[in-house]
Amino acid sequence: MFPIVLLSVFGILLLFLGFLKSRAILLPAALLFLLVSLAVNFIDWNKTYLYFNGMLLSDNLSMVFTAIVLGSAFMVVALSGSFMEDESAQPAEYYGILLFSLVGALMMIGFENLIMLFVGVEILSVAMYVLTGSDKRNLRSNEAALKYFLMGAFTTGIMLFGMALLYGATGSFTLGGIRAYAVNPQVGLSLLFYVGLLMLLIGLLFKVSAAPFHFWTPDVYDGAPTLFTAFMSTVVKTAGFAALFRLLSISFSGVYTFWWTILAIITTLTLVAGNITAVYQNSFKRMMAYSSISHAGYLLIGLAALGQQTKQAIVFYSLAYSVATIAAFGVLLLVARQRNAETITSGGSSSESFDAFNGLARQNPLLGFAMAVSMLSLAGIPLTAGFWGKFYMFSTAVERGQIWLLVVAVLMSAVGIYYYFRVIIAMYFREGATAPIRVAPFYRYVLVVATLLTIGLGIAPGLLEGLF
Amino acid sequence: MSEFLNQFKQLTATGYLFWVLAILALLSAVWVVTARNPIHSVLALIATFFCLSGHYILLNAQFLAAVNIIVYAGAIMVLFLFTIMFLNLRREDEESKTNLTKMAAVVVGGLLMVMLITIFRAKSAQVPTFNPVSFDSRTGLVENLGSILYSDYILPFELASVLFLVAMVGAVMLGKREAGDRHF
Amino acid sequence: MQTDLLCALIPLFPLIGFIINGFGFRRIPKSLAGAIATVAVLASFLTSCFLFGAFLGNANLTSTAGPLKAVLFDWISVGDLDISFSFQIDQLSLLMLLVVTGVGSLIHLYSIGYMKHDEGFGKFMAFLNLFVFFMLLLVMGSNYVIMFIGWEGVGLCSYLLIGFWNTNTNYNNAARKAFVMNRIGDLGFLLGIFWIINLFGTTEYTDVFKQATSLAIGDPEILAITLLLFVGAMGKSAQIPLYTWLPDAMAGPTPVSALIHAATMVTAGIYMVVRSNVLYTLSPLTLEIIGGIAIATALLAASIGLLQNDIKKVLAYSTVSQLGYMFLGLSVTAYTAGMFHVITHAFFKALLFLGAGSVIHAMSDEQDIRNMGGLRKSLPVTFITFLIGTIAISGLPPFAGFFSKDEILAHVFEHNKVLWALGVLGSALTSFYMFRLLFLTFFGEFRGTEEQRHHLHESPATMTAPLVFLAILSAAGGVLNLPGGGWLSDFMAPLFEGSRQVNPEAFAESTIDHSTEYILMAVSAGVALISGIIAYVMYVSRGAVPAPETTERSMPEQVVYNKYYVDEFYEAIIVRPIRGLGDALYSFGEFIIDGVVNGVAWLVRAGSNQLRLLQNGSIGFYVFAMVLSIVAIIALRFFVRF
Repeated sequence: MFPIVLLSVFGILLLFLGFLKSRAILLPAALLFLLVSLAVNFIDWNKTYLYFNGMLLSDNLSMVFTAIVLGSAFMVVALSGSFMEDESAQPAEYYGILLFSLVGALMMIGFENLIMLFVGVEILSVAMYVLTGSDKRNLRSNEAALKYFLMGAFTTGIMLFGMALLYGATGSFTLGGIRAYAVNPQVGLSLLFYVGLLMLLIGLLFKVSAAPFHFWTPDVYDGAPTLFTAFMSTVVKTAGFAALFRLLSISFSGVYTFWWTILAIITTLTLVAGNITAVYQNSFKRMMAYSSISHAGYLLIGLAALGQQTKQAIVFYSLAYSVATIAAFGVLLLVARQRNAETITSGGSSSESFDAFNGLARQNPLLGFAMAVSMLSLAGIPLTAGFWGKFYMFSTAVERGQIWLLVVAVLMSAVGIYYYFRVIIAMYFREGATAPIRVAPFYRYVLVVATLLTIGLGIAPGLLEGLF
Repeated sequence: MSEFLNQFKQLTATGYLFWVLAILALLSAVWVVTARNPIHSVLALIATFFCLSGHYILLNAQFLAAVNIIVYAGAIMVLFLFTIMFLNLRREDEESKTNLTKMAAVVVGGLLMVMLITIFRAKSAQVPTFNPVSFDSRTGLVENLGSILYSDYILPFELASVLFLVAMVGAVMLGKREAGDRHF
Repeated sequence: MQTDLLCALIPLFPLIGFIINGFGFRRIPKSLAGAIATVAVLASFLTSCFLFGAFLGNANLTSTAGPLKAVLFDWISVGDLDISFSFQIDQLSLLMLLVVTGVGSLIHLYSIGYMKHDEGFGKFMAFLNLFVFFMLLLVMGSNYVIMFIGWEGVGLCSYLLIGFWNTNTNYNNAARKAFVMNRIGDLGFLLGIFWIINLFGTTEYTDVFKQATSLAIGDPEILAITLLLFVGAMGKSAQIPLYTWLPDAMAGPTPVSALIHAATMVTAGIYMVVRSNVLYTLSPLTLEIIGGIAIATALLAASIGLLQNDIKKVLAYSTVSQLGYMFLGLSVTAYTAGMFHVITHAFFKALLFLGAGSVIHAMSDEQDIRNMGGLRKSLPVTFITFLIGTIAISGLPPFAGFFSKDEILAHVFEHNKVLWALGVLGSALTSFYMFRLLFLTFFGEFRGTEEQRHHLHESPATMTAPLVFLAILSAAGGVLNLPGGGWLSDFMAPLFEGSRQVNPEAFAESTIDHSTEYILMAVSAGVALISGIIAYVMYVSRGAVPAPETTERSMPEQVVYNKYYVDEFYEAIIVRPIRGLGDALYSFGEFIIDGVVNGVAWLVRAGSNQLRLLQNGSIGFYVFAMVLSIVAIIALRFFVRF
């Protein structure tokens, strides 16, 4: 609860700070605001409250999700030093919108009423439309923003339709009210309820880019400025899955048999589409877009096999995924900037292709190592956090006895290794005749923390247990 | 057929109004999509909003009807019109779509419509009918709406302002002229 | 507590070595990096020895010494499933520990000499240490999850080390092939583990096996689990159809071939089967399948080995073939014999690879045996040790290979006479190609260039010392388990209590009497000897050299006319058919299996391309796809009954 209020205020404060002549204060201020929000998040630790007449739930699970989201945002913002160098950038607005978008994300995490969910989704989405198009001179960025906006608006319509139908059937907007209707039907559930459920699910699945509603993802992730891509693929995804989990585990768990086949099919499609298409990409950034689709697929396994372990699995997976993704995008940012500078003078390959990473480990061992660890984690190699994420996910499938889902996921994770290892090969085994990249100290801390977290969680995954 | 006619004969004045408005709304909505001239599209959209506002009134939601006309049909549509005229869209800019895609879109869209209608007409999709005893005619009035918005729904109501703020800041940020941009 | 500490120390040493060398490889001088890496593994070896002594003492004091378990910390708990990070010290893991760290230290020592000119020396040593670390996790873990972590880790290190000389694209392809094939195996393994979790609710060996003993023989779920686990073993231990990566993996530096692709990692599959012996004993059908695959692999690889001209390729196929023998032993529930062969094989195959490395080193990176010959004068130590290795692998008494292979064959004889005959045939082939290799390399005239002749030199002491050690072990390793109830079978007996319980017949006392056993021994030794003599006649007396691929035979001029006829005759009767068979099998292996693997890869790429085309950038299409999906979902849920 407190972070939502604080972040709204902080966002406005940041906009005002933008009036100052010096831009230097913006980044520290944004980081400070995020830290404060993160700290106040834990005020209610181990207590469960329903705020504002049952609008917002605050329990340990929502606080853990909030912490993941705020932590990811903190790391992304910490990587944003390059804004200061770019004359045409408007950092105050960027940071302000980022903080506002977090308000939306937190609403999606803690909502207890569908209205809250809707407003949250919209805040997050509108902020993302804007940030996607924030690179105004770049045609691809503009196109991506427009696409995202149009598709997003279309989906919003579907989602609203779903909510309306749910209200029509159950007479309630609250999760508890819907649950009561679904668990204890007097005469049998209305068909409106089922259609509403599907529509609402489709709306949220679009946001987490599950196939076949994923088509926007590669174009948008590719077109958006890299930093915001990192934000989208971590914060938006985590918030989306938190919302899906709440909906499915509270309101719709009574009708599991109705939706699980659909979700299982979507999971399979997502895994296949994400992993298989990623193989063919030549741009690292685009590959990461497909990889984020495939990770949505792994996360969906936990929902399709909803059970005792799902909560833990989703929390762990989204944390592992967010940390690794941010590290990967952080390295990409540096590499792409360096290669861009080189391309201007010499004319080489695209700054975001796999070739851009050639020989990186030799010139910048730290960057190479951070990238390698995050790739290993995304690929799910043991002793990284990603392995345990997959392990938890797969064991939820086993618990529900959905062996075929497990088989697909395991096969697809093998395909995943192929494209993640391309980066590692490029970094460690290829020659690249380039100068070392200068890494700002702060940048370095972020990468080191991300890498340590990935390895630490890989060695001792039990650390997160008992938190919620 | 005769059954349908019978049903038609039994309709009250409100019923007739509902049908007229529904048909008008649908027709103008179709016009929005099919019109070749964007200005016609916008005008048709305004017509659709008016029809919808009529429906709101029939549903006893007077405030909503008024807001719908003032905000959407009034403000937003005027902005739309203004923008379209300003950008001076020509017919040749229009994206050409092959007949195949059009056909596919119609078939799929039609299929969805048919399926939804089938579902909603099914017995088990019926919602409880209007109950004159518990009906409160003042539900849709601005007073009630206001008191609910400021009591039960205060949090989402306030947070919606964040949504508008984001949209505003974003619009300003994206629209702000840069040093190198040409002046209109 | 003390054992816990010791257990933790064993894998910790190589890990520390890896961290030091891995992060500081550009700052640490080469000599120091080599020393750090070697000392790290040596320290593990000494700790293992100490642990072994303690275990033996303990076992002597209390006759019923169960496995020691060292729980380092509780790891994760998912629902009802608890997995702790713990090591299990029992007879099996101790043996593997000694082999891995013992042979490992020798190979580390050897690498100091072999790789000293290499630019990436520190990185190489770091990878080797990392490999040892994962291998130790694999053999020490007390549950399947830790085994899997080690399993994946060694695969990763193998991949990194095969591609170590990464300037060559072929090497990278070899590395990738190894990785892909291993992944196929790993998937089977992973699915097997999940099935175990599903069935037993735990992955801890002791608990799983305890529960398993109450199941009936031939339980279908156990069948599925064992088959899935065996798929993993197929990939890691290079059995048909997942064997083609191993010969290609010879692209890596020779110490890597010796350590990973001969002595340790490839035997992980055998370790896993022996570890899960209760499950396998419960499923006779799986054992039958393993037996079939094993003998086919042994013969196929041996026949391919007959015609290879690359010194490391011959050894690689020989490794595949020997792994087949080990599985053959396992398939007749002769688990001890299988493990015994693992141990002796680790000695002599490491020796052979290191010897080959020494030759390659002396020949300035020449690997083609057609360009060698007569090296015994210039490389005396290498020659003698290589000879010992050859005799050992051929199964000639009294060296180690004789005892271990003979024990396997004796058990096979008891089980199935046809398999035994095929096994003896394979043993003859083994002996032939190994002696062919030996004679072509060390006997006859030198066939290389002048430059190479000048360069010829015996390798430095860091390289020959491990050779000598390994030669002694290869020669004397047989005493571990002499026929008729050796020390090893007594030592390992407690491991198979569970198996004995579920299927007493499989462990019944040997029914063959001693005379039969001696005859069997004589037959296999005799066959090996005869093959060796044939090889001698062909390649030393007649001085035959395999034809080069391009020019006409470089048959020496002085070959007498009538001798030529003999060769022709010999060629028509023996060599041609064998070559034909070998070629056919070779093409079967390399092309069909690679074809399937490549086909799958192609399919993925083609699918990727098709899916990529869907991503055409048009919003109209995206929205269309969405609506279509919504229609499909609603249709599926409301209008289709299923």
